[in-house]
Amino acid sequence: MTRDNSTDADESSGTDTGEGVAADGTGIVAPDDETPTWGERKERTQGLSRLTYEYFERSRREDQELRNDSSYVERDVLAFPTWPHEMVRNLALTSFFVGLIIFLSATLPPHLGAPANPSQTPAIILPDWYLYWSFGLLKLGPLNPELAVLGGSKLLQDSTYGVLANLVVVGFIAIVPFLNKGSARRPVEQPFWSAVGVFGVVFAAMISTLAIKNLTPTWIDPHLLFDLTFFLPFVAGFITYGILRAMREGYMFDLNRRYYRLRPPR
Amino acid sequence: MSLERSDDHDHDAWMEQKNLTPIEGVYLTVLLWLDKRLRVVDYLEVLENLYYKVNLQMPKSHTEQYNLDNKFWYWYPLYALGSFSTIAYVVAAISGALLGFYYSPAAAAGACTIDGASVAYCSLTAIMTDINFGFMLRSIHRWSAQVMTAAVFLHMLRVYFTGSYKEPRELNWILGIVLISLTMVFGYTGYLLTWDQLAYWAGQIGVEMSLSIPLIGEWVAQLIFGGFSLGQATLMRMYILHVFFLPFVVTALIAVHIGIVWMQGIAEPH
Repeated sequence: MTRDNSTDADESSGTDTGEGVAADGTGIVAPDDETPTWGERKERTQGLSRLTYEYFERSRREDQELRNDSSYVERDVLAFPTWPHEMVRNLALTSFFVGLIIFLSATLPPHLGAPANPSQTPAIILPDWYLYWSFGLLKLGPLNPELAVLGGSKLLQDSTYGVLANLVVVGFIAIVPFLNKGSARRPVEQPFWSAVGVFGVVFAAMISTLAIKNLTPTWIDPHLLFDLTFFLPFVAGFITYGILRAMREGYMFDLNRRYYRLRPPR
Repeated sequence: MSLERSDDHDHDAWMEQKNLTPIEGVYLTVLLWLDKRLRVVDYLEVLENLYYKVNLQMPKSHTEQYNLDNKFWYWYPLYALGSFSTIAYVVAAISGALLGFYYSPAAAAGACTIDGASVAYCSLTAIMTDINFGFMLRSIHRWSAQVMTAAVFLHMLRVYFTGSYKEPRELNWILGIVLISLTMVFGYTGYLLTWDQLAYWAGQIGVEMSLSIPLIGEWVAQLIFGGFSLGQATLMRMYILHVFFLPFVVTALIAVHIGIVWMQGIAEPH
């Protein structure tokens, strides 16, 4: 109906509507028959846009071939419908979770300390708990090497060293996907990287404890705590590695047994 | 010749002959009115699409297909941590907007009876003691922030230990690192807004940290804290970061993060 309307308007109002007018109702007049279509324009372009176009064409063909080759059969009902089943479940979970937050806030109201006073440094200075690890990394001064070349002085200030340690930790976590490749998913399939993960978790916990050492019980010697901070993560990492390796043996045995039951060796 | 525009398609006559019920009549009139101005018909396809999306059947997942539920059921709650942090973010946004009605970010001496209190601190005590449910509101805001941060940390651990960051999801992992960092910045800026002793001295540590960055330290301290010692500029910057800058950035990034998960699918346990 709308299409009819626009072409009608074109015909009645246009004075010299020749053959050049596109029949699709857009009223766009091509200069002549030689004017390239958009597809041709794309094909003729040079450089990066040309490369992009060629790659998209290739990948589209690849998709089509994959689709043709696949044996996937679409069934009528594969699982629960989104509405209402999934939605109701999600809403129930959401309300439960929001209720949990409200319960927490009702039972454990937040603290408000004395007003800020620049002239009086308090005994306890703390960020929020999730920044303890970063706060702890600022206290790595004892690990900052005193270089003999520089006559026993340090290359970096202790504070610079601490900020740098933060960057190193975050940077390492960011490049993990480029270090650990392959299709392994379960911790048991990748004992080393799981051990690295446990190392990281224990290290974060210990460095956080170190950050708040003036709040920890006095029976822990600060030097002992400092040593433990760097010792315990390795212990935890090694134990994890050992356990997962041992589990992997059994796991592979199980898989192999299943495999050989299915296809008995001749 | 009349100045009134003619109704080429005579929709009115069409509606007359349709014998519509009142509801249908009102509906069509509104639809025609809107369509004349906004050309809604051109977007009907989108609506239709949405309609079918709502009635979508979820395809069988990997675990369902290979009947792995008995092996992995204990992982499943951990797969909810991402949405839990999003929900907590929404709760924090709503309660934060309400708190914003009453909070004033000024470090000048406040009018309340507390010794040495700033305007900001006084507005906090007013929220907590004078306003109905004000204490609860602050409590909800703080707890939802805590829960969000905790959920984000645990979410990262889950993704790490199930190897969900592997190809093709590397970019989303890096985006997640950016998001967790911004979440902590969010928390830090909010922590400073109370302008009590803890907030002030945590800010002092922040200034010292930025000053100890080589080469650009002073510039960073100026940019983020508005100077080398804490004052009105610091509080104002923390406030604007917390209620204007970060909400836009973090919300957009969360949308992209979830959009990528939608596109790539959830990395299911194998």
